Amino acid sequence: MESATARWTATRRALIAGLPALAATAGCSPRRDPDALTFWAISYEGDYAPHLMPAFTTATGIAVEVQTLPASAAHEKLLTAQAGGALPDVMMLYNGWVGTFAMIGALRQVPDASLVADQFPGVLQTAQYFGRDYAVPWSVAPQAQFYRTDLVERAGYASPPTDWAEWRRMAAAIKRRAPNDYVILAYLNWWDLLVTLAGLTQARPLKDRDTRGNFASPEFREALGFYKSLFDDGYAPVALSTDIQDPVAAFAQGYFAIYPSSPPIMLDFRRRTAELPPERWGVTRMPGPNGPGRVSSVSASVAVTTSSRRPDDAWALVRHLTSAASELRFQELIETMPARASAWSAPQMRQPRLAPFAEQVREPALWPAIAEWEQIQTEVQLIAERVVRGLMTLDQGVATMDREVDRILAKRRQLVEAGRIA
Amino acid sequence: MTRQERTAWAFVLPVLAIIGLVFVLPTTLAFGLSVTDYSIYALADWSNLRFVGVGNFTALLTTPLFWRALSNTALFALLGVPMAIAASLFAALLLDAEAVRWKPLWRVLLFAPYVTSVVATAVVWRFLLNERYGLINYALGWVGIAPIDWLGSPTSSIPAILLFVTWKVFGYNMVVFTAALSAVPTELMEAARLDGAGRWTRFRHVTLPSIGPTLLLAAVMSVAGFLQIFAEPYVMTLGGPAQSTTTVLYFMYDQGFKWWNLGLASAVAFVLFLLILALTIVQTRIGRRYEWL
Repeated sequence: MESATARWTATRRALIAGLPALAATAGCSPRRDPDALTFWAISYEGDYAPHLMPAFTTATGIAVEVQTLPASAAHEKLLTAQAGGALPDVMMLYNGWVGTFAMIGALRQVPDASLVADQFPGVLQTAQYFGRDYAVPWSVAPQAQFYRTDLVERAGYASPPTDWAEWRRMAAAIKRRAPNDYVILAYLNWWDLLVTLAGLTQARPLKDRDTRGNFASPEFREALGFYKSLFDDGYAPVALSTDIQDPVAAFAQGYFAIYPSSPPIMLDFRRRTAELPPERWGVTRMPGPNGPGRVSSVSASVAVTTSSRRPDDAWALVRHLTSAASELRFQELIETMPARASAWSAPQMRQPRLAPFAEQVREPALWPAIAEWEQIQTEVQLIAERVVRGLMTLDQGVATMDREVDRILAKRRQLVEAGRIA
Repeated sequence: MTRQERTAWAFVLPVLAIIGLVFVLPTTLAFGLSVTDYSIYALADWSNLRFVGVGNFTALLTTPLFWRALSNTALFALLGVPMAIAASLFAALLLDAEAVRWKPLWRVLLFAPYVTSVVATAVVWRFLLNERYGLINYALGWVGIAPIDWLGSPTSSIPAILLFVTWKVFGYNMVVFTAALSAVPTELMEAARLDGAGRWTRFRHVTLPSIGPTLLLAAVMSVAGFLQIFAEPYVMTLGGPAQSTTTVLYFMYDQGFKWWNLGLASAVAFVLFLLILALTIVQTRIGRRYEWL
């Protein structure tokens, strides 16, 4: 009896001692295929990238493991992975991030000019750092206004106007017909719309070699003023992204008539045709002060990391992913717009609903390719939210933006003045 | 060294080593980081790292958002600790009542929220608190209260999150209080009743003094917990609206892991550490002074 108890205690102790080891193996699950290339992509691109892989594996014999990162946490996850030396061979980056990751030495320079041939000039620039190519553009995703055809028609318009004055007249008409609903969705904690408006007024957000904020400039004030007026006039709900749990459903129900978004939203629309039949929505370019203009886009590019031990295989994968054929297949699958200029002459790109994007990709807005840009956009949006909520005036707002951005850029200013970076 | 001392050391050393490894060393390293300007540029090239002394701490004092985060955190703790402890104590007293049947079942049901996943329950609560379709506003509508934009308005966001947090955490202290209440001597209770003490008097002069130490422990743990509140605002409001739910830990997370300003983030961590330490010392002092509680 006694020995049985002792044995039980011994096994239990062994079991407890084994627990951490068990947890360790469960935590970092062994790679299924140690010879596979690793590829991290964000959002839908990650979910659907495995569909592009069989062709690549058949042609080259190289297996690829794809992991998806959520868009909201991708930036910090990639940064942490670089700090921990855990980046994959190939990774997807949103434009604006290439400068950051090139600066911290995570990216290899593009070895072959043919990889970056056949690109729209403004788009290619977003994949460069110091004028050198560090990533290959994969898709372009300019913002556009998706609108409810029925609601806009009832207000007396075939499609939403693309200049501010006329757009506001349409907004007033829509609001008059449905005072409890709204005209446009603009999450107060997302910077997309404000940055787009700033591109349309041709604001230059930074000055002095991108070492100081320039938010008090008349162009940015114009953009912020228009942004604020959307909320003041009741055209946009004062809401955060966490307040509206299902924006597509809200759009389908007519809670707002215009949904400024980028092409992949069409995949959501396609998946939910029962709620939102295809004839109920259309798309047109974003409104600017005097008609459509330059609009920034949350475009994607792919890059090879410095930690990759098989750069040649990795570049082969990049070449495959960014081929016109792969990009067109992705357009069919998830509605991303191809970055290769020649892909746009394919028959599938001639659908009328893609026409606004065909025009817009030729007019991209360019933002500073500095490491702090992501943080600056976030910080500026936080202050813009305070302006919209009436916690500070527009003048106080732009002054605060300049002050906060100058603070964020202090280290960069010091390094630029010392000639250590450009 | 006698044999007894050697044995004692053999027992204590592993624990000391672990404390040193997971507590003293990281704290020292964090303090080391907090006097440098470690940023994304240091990640790129170590030679960009500078010693800045108390620079990060003075920078913090002039950052409006840090002060806002401090006052938000203080508000969370000031409202949240009494709310959570009162809810726990109330539930424990109800469970302790003799008239209550099915006690184990109630205990499990009331404890269940504590072991659920924050993210999953936060999503449910976001639906409950929704301004237009939420069940809570629907219920308030019956008594004629106009819909409240719980999570969307800077004034109601903290109370709304506290409703969720209280619901989520009260079960833990409830179980602790239940255990303490079962240790309250019945003879004392009966003696008090015979002497004509009412319900409140018995609670105040018999129950409360006997569970005093437990109450103090719960208060200390709750204060430390509420000062480190992060997951709930992160999941429910992302620190908004207008940064009304950005807490000190949220601010630290943003600076450290999002923007890689680890120097500044370490300074925040250090300030928070000192704050919790100071508050705990004050609480134990108060606890010692009012030992009759």
